[in-house]
Amino acid sequence: MPEALIGVALDAARAEGVRYADVRLVTPQRYLHLAVRDGAASSLTSSHTAGLGVRVRTDRAWGFAATRMLTPATVRRAARTAVRLARAAGRTARGPLPWTNEAGPHRGRYATALREDPFAVPGEEVIALLADAEHRLHVGPEVKSGVASFHAWDETKWFASSDGASFHSRIVQVGAGVSATAVRGSDVETRSAPSSFGGDFRQAGFEFVRGLALPEVAEGVGKEAVALLDAPACPTGSTTLVLGSSQLALQVHESVGHAVELDRILGSEAAFAGTSWVPPDGVGRLVYGSERMHVVADATAPGGLGTFGWDDEGVPAQRVPIVSAGRLAGFLTSRETAAALGLGGSGGTARADGADRAPLIRMTNINLEPGDRSFDELLEGVDEGVFMDTNRSWSIDDKRLNFQFGTEVARRIVRGELGGLVRRAIYAGMTPEFWRSMDAVGDRSTWHLWGLPNCGKGQPSQTAHVSHGAPAARFRGVRVRGG
Amino acid sequence: MPARRRADRLAEVARGLPSGVTADARIVREAWTTIRFANGRIHQPLVEEGEYLSFRVAEGGRLGTATTVDLSPDGVRTVVRAARALARIAPVEKTFPGFPVEASPRPAATAFSSATAHVTPEAATRVAERILAAAASRAPGGRIAGVVNIGSVNHRVVNSTGLDRGCRFSGAQASVLVDRPERDPPVSGWSEGAHWDVARLAPERLGREAAERVAESAPVAVEPGTYRVLLRAPAVATLLDYLAFLGFGGTGEAEGWSCLRRQRGRRIAPRSVDLVDDARSRRVIPCAIDAEGTATRSTPLIDEGVAGGPVTDVLTSGRLGRPLTGHALPPESPGGEYGPIPRHLVLSPGDAREEELVRETRRGILVTRFHYVRVVDPGRSVLTGMTRDGTYRIEHGEIVGPVRNLRFTESVLRTLRGTELVGREARQTASERAGSSTTCPDLVSSSFRFTSATLF
Repeated sequence: MPEALIGVALDAARAEGVRYADVRLVTPQRYLHLAVRDGAASSLTSSHTAGLGVRVRTDRAWGFAATRMLTPATVRRAARTAVRLARAAGRTARGPLPWTNEAGPHRGRYATALREDPFAVPGEEVIALLADAEHRLHVGPEVKSGVASFHAWDETKWFASSDGASFHSRIVQVGAGVSATAVRGSDVETRSAPSSFGGDFRQAGFEFVRGLALPEVAEGVGKEAVALLDAPACPTGSTTLVLGSSQLALQVHESVGHAVELDRILGSEAAFAGTSWVPPDGVGRLVYGSERMHVVADATAPGGLGTFGWDDEGVPAQRVPIVSAGRLAGFLTSRETAAALGLGGSGGTARADGADRAPLIRMTNINLEPGDRSFDELLEGVDEGVFMDTNRSWSIDDKRLNFQFGTEVARRIVRGELGGLVRRAIYAGMTPEFWRSMDAVGDRSTWHLWGLPNCGKGQPSQTAHVSHGAPAARFRGVRVRGG
Repeated sequence: MPARRRADRLAEVARGLPSGVTADARIVREAWTTIRFANGRIHQPLVEEGEYLSFRVAEGGRLGTATTVDLSPDGVRTVVRAARALARIAPVEKTFPGFPVEASPRPAATAFSSATAHVTPEAATRVAERILAAAASRAPGGRIAGVVNIGSVNHRVVNSTGLDRGCRFSGAQASVLVDRPERDPPVSGWSEGAHWDVARLAPERLGREAAERVAESAPVAVEPGTYRVLLRAPAVATLLDYLAFLGFGGTGEAEGWSCLRRQRGRRIAPRSVDLVDDARSRRVIPCAIDAEGTATRSTPLIDEGVAGGPVTDVLTSGRLGRPLTGHALPPESPGGEYGPIPRHLVLSPGDAREEELVRETRRGILVTRFHYVRVVDPGRSVLTGMTRDGTYRIEHGEIVGPVRNLRFTESVLRTLRGTELVGREARQTASERAGSSTTCPDLVSSSFRFTSATLF
């Protein structure tokens, strides 16, 4: 049994006299990517990986080693290598490592609830669906490129630690989308559905992909890409901005989710991802946004890519307030960072993207709670403004303050109603001023849980799968322009 | 099983497929040690080792790729079945020209360091300690963070036409940040470097440079606008890496969105801008073959200011009707879907010394590096991103002090067209697993548009 290797690794680490060890065995980790691009197969790939990672802690330092070769000899060697690393790293330590004492130990099983195993759906059926959708994107000669893609992940994991925690989980995630690129001269316009960068993603089975109805939406996507070529540029100036749910989800990700990662705040990511404008003593006093702003980190949200049973330190999934009525209410934490800040316990957000990576603080499902306005009510009272949705480009500084986002689609708002398309819309601002300018939040009918499977962090880089629930919302006095 | 025998067996599998079915197989074996440090101590050290097989099948122009870490006979049989199952459902790639043949040019030997490939955990840790010590000695009280990556990749490609080629490369890469977060606004300095031989990484120099670039005075706000800029090598490398994708990628050319597709053979920059992609060069982390086994070569991208053609892999060479240039990415990699991209860029040094670069900038902004750069308008090569870790004002030909970081929204092509001076000293940067590396000098451009500023 492969899980017996966990005991081998833990025993090898214990034999070296470490204070703590945890072992993750991931097998199998499957991935399927099917994509049709301009009538041809741009990517039909499947991967099957497996591996075991050992993390150890001495009094003064961490060590981590991983192997994809699952034999008793190789996992023993990985455990000993991790200990060698920790001892070598300990030479630079200035004191003991902080570490929370968590309730437990926790043991159990977690599995995605799914109706249709995406790996069991006949490939012919998936390709036929994608090819049909992709074909419908080509509404005219201006559409130079169309893509329809499908992704599925299936990860089975065993975890055990020297303090007695253990769990087994199987998490299945899927996603799909279409995208059309129209070109005229140097003008390039892309339109996607249901969102950009691959579509929408969910912890679910293939039933979620069927529900996206890609062939039905594709023609409209192609037409809008072409229409954007003839649209006037987005006006420049300070105006009222209404963001759609998809774009607001990314705004939450970049300007809230990353900013409240406690490892960033404490400097652990300073050289790469950066730090944060949020101070470590800001809980309860830092005004993050308007009183209408309520954000939670909810690792228990059904269907979220950031939903699990336990994190990769054996801490149970939790629902943690992040911003309540506009004030900072909490952080994303690990056992080490929570202890460093004197918190009672970890919020359970340490995750790794595979057996060969050590866990880092990662977002779970960071959700902006819905408000009380319908979409039409968000537009009411706006004499002149801009509606934007579906991200095209995104960039934010290394403290998560100065941001600039471009969207695929934008429309003027004139006297409370949506008007014509404008192109290359960009909005920019500073995180706290922007969130403080939010004067109306869409209700549940505008709210959607978006899956983002491409959140990068760490060295070597790790790609986390996270989700963001977001409504539409209205912001006053935002700088916009045509890029 | 020894790697040689394993490759032989895969070649037999590839050649033994039914008539009309061809395949290529790639075995990748790699070992890396990463030592991350922050707050002056090593906090995330990691060793990883592994091996995987990528198997790609073509049946009547239909392609499918499967990968596995199970290299047993059963594992190989399973991955072949998976690749064939995908190929059978794939739409036809009408212009697929077949896999490369052995008769194509043979790869030349490239540099390799055994000491780098077999670094021990203790030796890798020692490199990080040398950076920490050098930085701490020059910036007492500064907060030090960064990373060291040392390791090697060994890959072998066989295909059913009889091609059988291997390549190994070693790489060492490090970067270091020194900051003073307690100051308001905070200040920071940065340095980075890479080499195929860890013995030539110069960790003390990197630590010292980052520390010495931490400004003593507080950054001041400057108005966003268009400035002359002195871009340090890491900033230049970022712009070139994006241009490699937006202007020289075969997919962008085939799909019509390349920013250079109507400018091939035309002057796009002064003669001083000379850019090649050369995966055989010892000035980058070299690799003798691409992911399809095609020998890498020196490919002119901007030849004394004149734009060259796009690079290709098997698929784009068929779509574009152009020869293979040896730039295939692994089809199963995240970047594989975007097709071939130049990843071993060398921008020729000029003759300007550092003090001359500053003097001739006269009035402008010095940028150490960029952060979070993204594409705004691919057809015009417009990017946006932030400056970070050392942005300075230059007045009257002298660096007069740090400025608060700025957001740029600017075209790479416009920046290169405005090149006024190119530095004489080149610096190498590399990705963390050395799949791409860029060597370039500092550069002065006449105009660069900053569209907003941040608070620090």
